[in-house]
Amino acid sequence: MARERRVPRAVPPTPRPGCVQPHQDRGAAATPYLHSVTLQQQLPLRRPRRSERSSVLDFLRLKYSVSFPNEAMAPATSERAPACSRGHQSHRTLTLAAALVEALGGGEERRRELERLAARSRGLLRRAGQDDEQPETEASSKDGCESRPSPKELEELELLNRALEKALRVRKSISKTPVEAQVAPAEKPAGEGSAFKNAQEQQVPVSGRDVPGSREARAVSRKPASLKKPSPYQLRAPYRTDPDVKKTQKRAPARCVSQGPRTAGKSSSKAVASRQGRSHRPANSASDQGVCAATELRNAPGSSKSALKEQQSSIRDSVGERNLVAAGRQLIDAGGKSCGSHGVSSRKENPTAEGGSTSPQTVTIQQQGCQLKLPHPYRKAFSRNCRAWERSRLCQTSADAAAARRRFTERIQTTFCSPMPALSPAEIEEELKVLQDVPSLLRQYVEAEPADHPTLQREYESLLTLEGLQSTVSQCLHKLQLLQAAVESQKRLHPDCSGDVGSCCPACVPARGRACGGAGTLAVPLLWYSSFQELRDLFALKLQVSMLHQEIALQKLTMTELLPVLESEACPEASAAQLYRAIYTQLCEGGKRFPVLVRDELAD
Amino acid sequence: MPGGRALPGAVGALCRAMPPPARLVPEALRRAKLDRPQATLDFWRLLYALLKQIHGGKWSEADAIDTQIRFVKSALWYQGYGRPELYRLPSDGSAGSRELLLAFSWLLHRISLLEQLLARNRVRTGDETSVCMCEDDLSQSEQGTTEIAPEYGPEDRVDIRYLQWLNGRLRFQWRSLHAQHQEQCKLLHKIHLLTSGSHVDQILGHFSVTEMDLIRQPENYKQLVQLLELETMQLEAFLEWKQLELVYWQWMETVLDNMAEEGNMCKPQDAHIEKSSLPKVTSCCPWADSLTGQINKLSRDLMALRDQLHELVTHRRSAWEEKVKARAEDLQREDFPATVRKIQEAVELKLLDLSNLCAPKKNKVHGLCRLVYRSKHSASKTGFSRSVSKEPAPAVSATEVIRELQMREASLQRELKQLREECRQRLDEIAEGLDGVICISP
Repeated sequence: MARERRVPRAVPPTPRPGCVQPHQDRGAAATPYLHSVTLQQQLPLRRPRRSERSSVLDFLRLKYSVSFPNEAMAPATSERAPACSRGHQSHRTLTLAAALVEALGGGEERRRELERLAARSRGLLRRAGQDDEQPETEASSKDGCESRPSPKELEELELLNRALEKALRVRKSISKTPVEAQVAPAEKPAGEGSAFKNAQEQQVPVSGRDVPGSREARAVSRKPASLKKPSPYQLRAPYRTDPDVKKTQKRAPARCVSQGPRTAGKSSSKAVASRQGRSHRPANSASDQGVCAATELRNAPGSSKSALKEQQSSIRDSVGERNLVAAGRQLIDAGGKSCGSHGVSSRKENPTAEGGSTSPQTVTIQQQGCQLKLPHPYRKAFSRNCRAWERSRLCQTSADAAAARRRFTERIQTTFCSPMPALSPAEIEEELKVLQDVPSLLRQYVEAEPADHPTLQREYESLLTLEGLQSTVSQCLHKLQLLQAAVESQKRLHPDCSGDVGSCCPACVPARGRACGGAGTLAVPLLWYSSFQELRDLFALKLQVSMLHQEIALQKLTMTELLPVLESEACPEASAAQLYRAIYTQLCEGGKRFPVLVRDELAD
Repeated sequence: MPGGRALPGAVGALCRAMPPPARLVPEALRRAKLDRPQATLDFWRLLYALLKQIHGGKWSEADAIDTQIRFVKSALWYQGYGRPELYRLPSDGSAGSRELLLAFSWLLHRISLLEQLLARNRVRTGDETSVCMCEDDLSQSEQGTTEIAPEYGPEDRVDIRYLQWLNGRLRFQWRSLHAQHQEQCKLLHKIHLLTSGSHVDQILGHFSVTEMDLIRQPENYKQLVQLLELETMQLEAFLEWKQLELVYWQWMETVLDNMAEEGNMCKPQDAHIEKSSLPKVTSCCPWADSLTGQINKLSRDLMALRDQLHELVTHRRSAWEEKVKARAEDLQREDFPATVRKIQEAVELKLLDLSNLCAPKKNKVHGLCRLVYRSKHSASKTGFSRSVSKEPAPAVSATEVIRELQMREASLQRELKQLREECRQRLDEIAEGLDGVICISP
């Protein structure tokens, strides 16, 4: 076979000139494997040998340690440069890193605030006689503010990266690759998942961390329509608040996950063996095994749609369970600590004990609730306050006063510099905010219009609708032009912008910080909700929207920072491939799935 | 001077209606009318404090005066105040108290300064949540301009894996936030259910977490009660001000008269000439840049849609006209024109709905709202309005908010998808350049 004659090319072994090749055994990772499936499977059980492990850790510790960032992240000129020689990419993405760290910090703040609130409510409910009330899953906060990966995380990360390197393998021909490649990505996440199972307490969120999503998405990717991000309702977090997960988790078949490690055990040992054989040795056994695994796997998702769905759900469940277990463990770890710090009586509770009851309408509690009475001083103050608000809300400006006010305003406005733009910056922003969702909304309308119509009447209706939409689009475009003109003229008026360059930046701040407020409405605004589900949906959606905002901002930043690196920089071929994969994963797949890179030997 | 004795009353009420940390002494207003320099700093500080409260953000009375002045000027610009004299005031705060009094009065009317401040600083006793995503919109535009590079020196580099790790952490963090929010909902709802019918306010019906805690530990809430009382007093002062407002505006007009006599009322033409003599503007204004960016993005989207629609409509129209021509006689018999009219009306109605969505909502509720649980059953019985006859208090239903959020979400998803698509294209191009490596996307 042609394969046997070919010398496989290793992915990482091109060190940068002047760098020491640090770890010989890693070079051995170049042994050809035809199927990334096998590689992924073997991952979980393949513990690095001791020497290897410590060197991996050394190298990573070196890279990330807070105390020597300069050495760690320096370009390949320093003595420590082996870090770079491995073909791992160091690039100037400081802003991006800083933005990410900042985002994490912001999230952490939010999390702490929520935790505080939850602890308070929990304490209240407990004292109110809610015996079934338990502290909920709290992600332990111990490593929440860490800004560096822990050694264990790094170890896992390194393993993952190595597995990915192996995916870059010699292929016999291009024609053969697609078949294998189809399988590969589907299997990868599962392997990864189990790899991270052990490290769950550490919260290892490496690129493949988002197991359920990636797996699912992959499985259905034949139907492009369903290739959507999970809606907030599907944002199925592994938490006890979700009764569905609870119910199913007990019988969650672990076949997909557990299968991985077992087969992986074998192939892993082989992998090590063959690696030591190094280079010229044909990789028959390994590749054969890979083919087996591949076909086995292909049968599953390919067989039928229902089977596919079943598989998906089982995966989701098993993932849910895993996380649940991990969360439970965390809870036990953190339980006493967090309770104590919040001043809530700490008692050990079994986190899995509580039933999924979300609406505790026990009669006794209800009765007790009704007996509760607010203390007199507060009641008095509250009522007076309420009345004052009510009166203020209903208070009207007298006609005389309104006229005098208007006269004054008009007079003063005649002295404004002319031409004064019709819209103030605040108003421009307001108008623009109204328009921000319009394109998406209009698109929805357009997409809702079917192409075929049963009757002539319906066809006409559809035609008219489309024409109406067309004119709406034109109107909006016109409005945007006006807004742009207003922006231009306001820019000219800006007190600090009209001077020298760069002086206005601090002055523009107020525009941003402008928190929204009910403009001039004097009342306590209320938000009615009519069911628990509604409340949950509301909060989930709000979170989803914030998350999307952040995702988009980071995506843009990543694009401006990383794409040029890839487009311009002449990095060694091997490292380019790795960098490519990392960037592709981040930018096109939201860090959830990664592409398979295949070395095309025929090109030589 | 009109209402000689009423004026101190009006000014006094105005001062008391303002939030305590920023209160002005009535005397300052009188001094400002005479353009005394002593009152200038007081006014800058007042405006700084008030505008900071409206715009949000951290501030302290100890902030450097030139910072304060710069902020006030740019906040006034933001609101659309256009008197060039104000922007020319010295940055050490040594002169211009009358200019500042004018600006203050203009804000009082133009942006309902007092009302906004009262609403914003409201003492919160309920479980509140914001009904809009304005803050996120803002932070988004902020993201682009942050330039921070801590820890590392300029020559340092970041490993891509570090970035991946951070990204992963971030995703994980969002998940745990989601879990926490869901738990928070559960707890809130429990408390709401548990205490329903207990509140003195019939409309609210149930306690909030704060009120629940207050029952348990009333001693911890002395301050809250005090704050409520202070707010009540502020509101009463506001009511008083509303009664006496007329006098104040008349007085302000005399200020304008005085200025006109002194020839200080700058002629618009002068301002114009002066403006054009200023150096040409450079594109350094982040505000304008950010807005232009947004406008461009929206325009691009809409233009793509317009082209798509144009093609679609042309195609459909010709198809339809052909069909009509072919069946002209049948249609004549069916009284087709009447049907057409009916369809037109129906479509108009449908599109009206749409244009409502595209139009600015004047009385849209923004900001924080008190969460109130009302089961559908009882809601239909009692009705929402606090007072039967008068206009109801502002209230939104979660359903409404959810609908809006869903719209927002859809549009953000679309944007993200577009960005990813763009990346995919660029990366595909790059992949072609990679020597001997084939990329198979997932």
